[in-house]
Amino acid sequence: MKKLTLLQEAIEAIPDGSIVGLGGNTLNRAPMAAVFELARQNKHCLSLVKTAGAMDIDLLCLAQCVASVDAGFVSYETEFSLAQHYRKSVEKGLVKANEHACYTVICALRAAAYGAPFLPVTGLREGDLLRVNPCFRRITDPFSGDPVTLVRAIRPDWSILHVHKADPDGNGAIFGPQYEDVLLSRASQKVLLTTEELVDRDYFRQGESKADIPGFLVSAVVHLPKGASPCGCHGHYPPDKETISSFLRLKDRAQLMEWLKGGPGGE
Amino acid sequence: MNRTCDIMACAMSRLLRDGETVFFGVASHLPMVAALLAKATHAPNLTILNIPGGADVEAPLTESYSSAGGGLLQTAAATFPLVEVFDLSMRGGLDVAFLSGVQFDCTGAVNASVIGDYFTPKVRLPGGAGSAVLIPTAKRAVIWRTKHDRRTFVNEVDFVTSRGNVSAIVTPLCVFRWYRDQLIVGSVHPGSSMEEVAEHTGFPLRYLELETTPAPSAGELALLEQIDPRDLRSLEFR
Repeated sequence: MKKLTLLQEAIEAIPDGSIVGLGGNTLNRAPMAAVFELARQNKHCLSLVKTAGAMDIDLLCLAQCVASVDAGFVSYETEFSLAQHYRKSVEKGLVKANEHACYTVICALRAAAYGAPFLPVTGLREGDLLRVNPCFRRITDPFSGDPVTLVRAIRPDWSILHVHKADPDGNGAIFGPQYEDVLLSRASQKVLLTTEELVDRDYFRQGESKADIPGFLVSAVVHLPKGASPCGCHGHYPPDKETISSFLRLKDRAQLMEWLKGGPGGE
Repeated sequence: MNRTCDIMACAMSRLLRDGETVFFGVASHLPMVAALLAKATHAPNLTILNIPGGADVEAPLTESYSSAGGGLLQTAAATFPLVEVFDLSMRGGLDVAFLSGVQFDCTGAVNASVIGDYFTPKVRLPGGAGSAVLIPTAKRAVIWRTKHDRRTFVNEVDFVTSRGNVSAIVTPLCVFRWYRDQLIVGSVHPGSSMEEVAEHTGFPLRYLELETTPAPSAGELALLEQIDPRDLRSLEFR
């Protein structure tokens, strides 16, 4: 099966209404070129999943692609402040925010990866998140009789991960921080890799360094140098603050579509 | 004249003890500087843990530093990714977690989620990140907040992202500390006063003795310059 494809085709395979896991963390190694293409293709009602998101979630909210966000944190780093489009979308009731502790996103993905319906989360003991987020249930531990919190599995339909190196079979390697990317690859039904560098089949087979994400879990690979930009990609480029700032000045969806035409990741 | 960010960095640094493990998340420049200062002074065996997964990092505050970026892995001795930092805390092995929020009350309730109603919020905040699981499980949860006003320190928070086990809150005016199930004023920063703290706090103040936060020493200030030449510690005040 041929996995190597073009970005447009790869994103066309992701239906409206999908649960989509996004790789990276805040402004680091988010799969931004793929995010731009989701917006260009005018996807609807996506349920986004990420421990800590920033421009990716913010942009998809501005593009009106999003129905819900399961995340522990959605904001830029200090100098860019709050994710205004995400914030306004939630405040207007256009997007449902399912707030997690970052770890409960991890536990929900672990449950999916383990093939389990839920996982107990030691540590989430009280507070209003238990009341408002339908992912959580407080039950009695049948072994000890003590109360324990469960988090329901989240199994993304697709995860989109930007990796450093991948071969045409979908074997992918991440250098530096991996965040939750490897877990997402195990938890999801399907995985789309965008890769900074395309290596040949011998690279992992004959090299000492092996892929973190095995090709059999991956449905599609797209060769996309600078595929995380304007977020950073460890070892290749830091976040592009000018482009991030120019995005933050956009007011509405129409402006975003213009910006995407001429802007970063454009054809 | 002491800068507030330097007073806060030093106060946060002094809350760390030698041999401990300490974690901070995204947008956490002040805790990073405080931890490196502690390592350079009284806590050389402090182990710094972080999101990118570097265990025991050394000064990485270079041009491209980000609190979730690869720099925090580059100078580490071992890898210990975020998921494992959480696991460590769940099993009772994390000594200190630095966290923040937007509203706090004297019972240790922290709100990092919403202003107004959760489902129809007036303001949707970034979210508590690890707070809801780390505050209850870390041996000590230390909160820093660079605003001290009546909208921040309130009688009752709009939403309880987490409650209890807050060991200390470091603000631009004072250090609150935990004493018998509530937050009391531990020390007031040099340049401020109990009157000023009271004026800017929405909950009733209690304290045991009137103490002043030690001012940064000349040695600490010199180390801060060395550790953080780009002055990231002042970023939240700009």
